[in-house]
Amino acid sequence: MVLLTQLVVTFAAILGFGIILSVPRRALVIGALIGVWTWFVLQVGLMAGLTNVVSTVLASLTAAVIAHIQARRIQIPVTALSIPGILPLVPGSLAYFTMLSFVEGDYLEGLEYGVQTMLQAGAIAAGLVLALSVFSFRKGIGNRYETGKE
Amino acid sequence: MTPEWTKETALGAKADKVMDVCLLAGEIMLTYGAETYRVEETIERMAEAAGFTNVHCFSTTTGIFLSFEEEKGKGDLMQMVRVDDRMQDLNKVTEVNQVSREFTGGFLTVQEAERRLEEIIEAKIQYPIWLIHIGSGVAGGGFSYLFGGGLFDLIPAFFAAVIASVTLVQIEGYLKVRFASELAAAFAGSTSAIAFVALGLGSSMDQVIIGSLMPLVPGVPLTNAVRDLLSGDLLAGISRGVEALLTSLSIASGVALAVSIFL
Repeated sequence: MVLLTQLVVTFAAILGFGIILSVPRRALVIGALIGVWTWFVLQVGLMAGLTNVVSTVLASLTAAVIAHIQARRIQIPVTALSIPGILPLVPGSLAYFTMLSFVEGDYLEGLEYGVQTMLQAGAIAAGLVLALSVFSFRKGIGNRYETGKE
Repeated sequence: MTPEWTKETALGAKADKVMDVCLLAGEIMLTYGAETYRVEETIERMAEAAGFTNVHCFSTTTGIFLSFEEEKGKGDLMQMVRVDDRMQDLNKVTEVNQVSREFTGGFLTVQEAERRLEEIIEAKIQYPIWLIHIGSGVAGGGFSYLFGGGLFDLIPAFFAAVIASVTLVQIEGYLKVRFASELAAAFAGSTSAIAFVALGLGSSMDQVIIGSLMPLVPGVPLTNAVRDLLSGDLLAGISRGVEALLTSLSIASGVALAVSIFL
């Protein structure tokens, strides 16, 4: 029941964010639905006993995959869908407590929160990277050896 | 009989026009928050579709270079634009993308493409500004609940986020200094959040403050930084990342100021 309320609130919040970012009208609702899915995956992961970072990677990965597929379908740049999709994962709360600890002079606690914030941000990036590598399959850029050439 | 030079000028004029149109498209995309690789790819495709060879485009967060060869054996053309403003309007990016798609597919002439791009520049943001303020309010209220506040905290967070958003837009109009508007908006948002909670609206102070700040989060530069770094545009990726970092730091200083004064 709590989860259901949270999902409804996420939908509204991401819709609001879509308006702030001026996402095209036809992508607004899809972006909000991806955001809802992200929050759902995150909460289910946490309930299943996974750590915060792992659930964040899973949520961000699935959100980015859906965003890529949908962006191809309605022909818009994928950022218009992936940004709303990953917004529910943004560690705003952790960042705030980092700042608060430093302001109050509790540097050790601040560092602890800071590391958690960095880890969660890194987890979001990792999910995006994984999704991107799935969708750039066979379009590799030369990185070390010229193995991709035919 | 046409003299030789007329033909040459006609060709030169076309190359010049294509150059302008390509750079215009790139400038709009970069200004309104497209990733660097998308800007480069779009420009290169458009120039190639117009029939030019040896097309190279290099773009960072603040400028675009484009060079191509008009005709085999003639010198290459090269031009650059500097991009000063960076805003977030994903709708404009999408529309430029559409224009480039149609141009590359051969459905648009150079003149038509230029006219469409100029329309995109002239167009106002697709949502009215009051709707953007309401949107920030809804986003702020929603996130204050999601980050662990009660349902009762939705209302003060909504109003605090609206105040932060209004401050952001107003200050941006007056101050040329980057990041100052974010600092001021964060300060105004968290001050009003503290005031609302002190007046008895809402119970969890922290969550209300976080909610009022969420609409200021630099989502576009953050995501683009990751994407740019991954596609190998290291310079652009780092500068985007620094932009996102500075924005976050100025938000943090704004809140820190409010918290240390009023708490």
